[in-house]
Amino acid sequence: MASKNNNRGPQRGGRNNQPDPITRWIVIGMVSLVVIIGAVFTIVSNKSSSNVALPPGASKEDGYGIVFNADKTPTINIWEDFQCPSCKRFEQTNGSKIYELIQQGKAKVVFNTLSFLGDESVVAGMGSGCAADQGKFLEYKKFLYDNQQEENSGTWTKPYIISMAATLGLDETKFAACLNTDKYRKWLTNLSDAGGKANINGTPTVVIDGTIIESDPQGINYYTPEGFNAQLVKYGIK
Amino acid sequence: MMNEPIEVIARLSKRTQALDWLGLFARLALGGVLFAAGAIKIPTPYKAAAAMRAYELLPNSLASFFGYILPWFEVGLGLLLILGVATRLSSVVGALLMLLFIGAIASAWARGLSIDCGCFGGGGEIDPNETKYLQEIIRDIALAICGFYLYFRPHSRFALDNRGK
Repeated sequence: MASKNNNRGPQRGGRNNQPDPITRWIVIGMVSLVVIIGAVFTIVSNKSSSNVALPPGASKEDGYGIVFNADKTPTINIWEDFQCPSCKRFEQTNGSKIYELIQQGKAKVVFNTLSFLGDESVVAGMGSGCAADQGKFLEYKKFLYDNQQEENSGTWTKPYIISMAATLGLDETKFAACLNTDKYRKWLTNLSDAGGKANINGTPTVVIDGTIIESDPQGINYYTPEGFNAQLVKYGIK
Repeated sequence: MMNEPIEVIARLSKRTQALDWLGLFARLALGGVLFAAGAIKIPTPYKAAAAMRAYELLPNSLASFFGYILPWFEVGLGLLLILGVATRLSSVVGALLMLLFIGAIASAWARGLSIDCGCFGGGGEIDPNETKYLQEIIRDIALAICGFYLYFRPHSRFALDNRGK
């Protein structure tokens, strides 16, 4: 619409300016094409799809996360990215408490893996599905945090993740076949889409029975055992 | 007496040249910032969508949608401005976009949210002491001025729009 104004009359202060319309329209056309294709591609590739290979324990109803103690209440969803330093801090502070809740059956715990920090998050995330295939999701997750490097430092490549899987007692051949074929890439897309719908805007985010535990400036709720336990107590978990 | 009109023309053309250089500066400032801001966000669409949701201005799914497409839009608009194509239209769209950003940031500030604007990646909730609302708004006002300047005087140095004269 407004582009028509461009041609209306001589431009103020400028020389009488007759633009070369062909070059101009070619450039406008190419730029618009890039923008439209890029935008559509981004939307489509971030949409969840229904026929997706899910690792054992993953449930669509729980945001595609891996579920422990499906029949218990309340439900704790933990949204995390294995590359995120705050997630490591959360794991180091409250990880053992959460594993204890799982073992003692005091809550339903769901781990929702996000992978928004870059390609290494995707590799690590796909690996978590492959580890779940062999029933070692928790061991794998813990190992990643114990060996977390700087974000996107180039450490978490597929060969590296496969070689570490062997040290966890995972069947290396099966794990490699799973990771190298990107078996769980679409599962991660579904997890991310579910995270968007659940309004998860950062990691780690803990949701108990649908209520997001707010992070506070002092980091009490997430990064002190007392603060986190106080949140759990609100939902009857002691 | 004979020299007078020539002097006037010479003086006018000097002024025109200076304004053309100013136009180039405005184009590169607004276009460069838009292009960089978009390009940084493209590889991490989830982050961009999350930054948009953190403003709590739009329904969740709509915010995610705009978060996915905004980086591409910024890159396209930035390219047009850098190349100097359809300068008048792209500069006014850029300026209006800046006004939109200013409104969104001001509203987040007024509602007492503590978020990063997410303009260049990042985004989402941050420590209240780390918010930079004022700096973000001042930056966007400066860029909006660049855009409106170009709307009223779109001619500038080294623009594809100048071709074919």
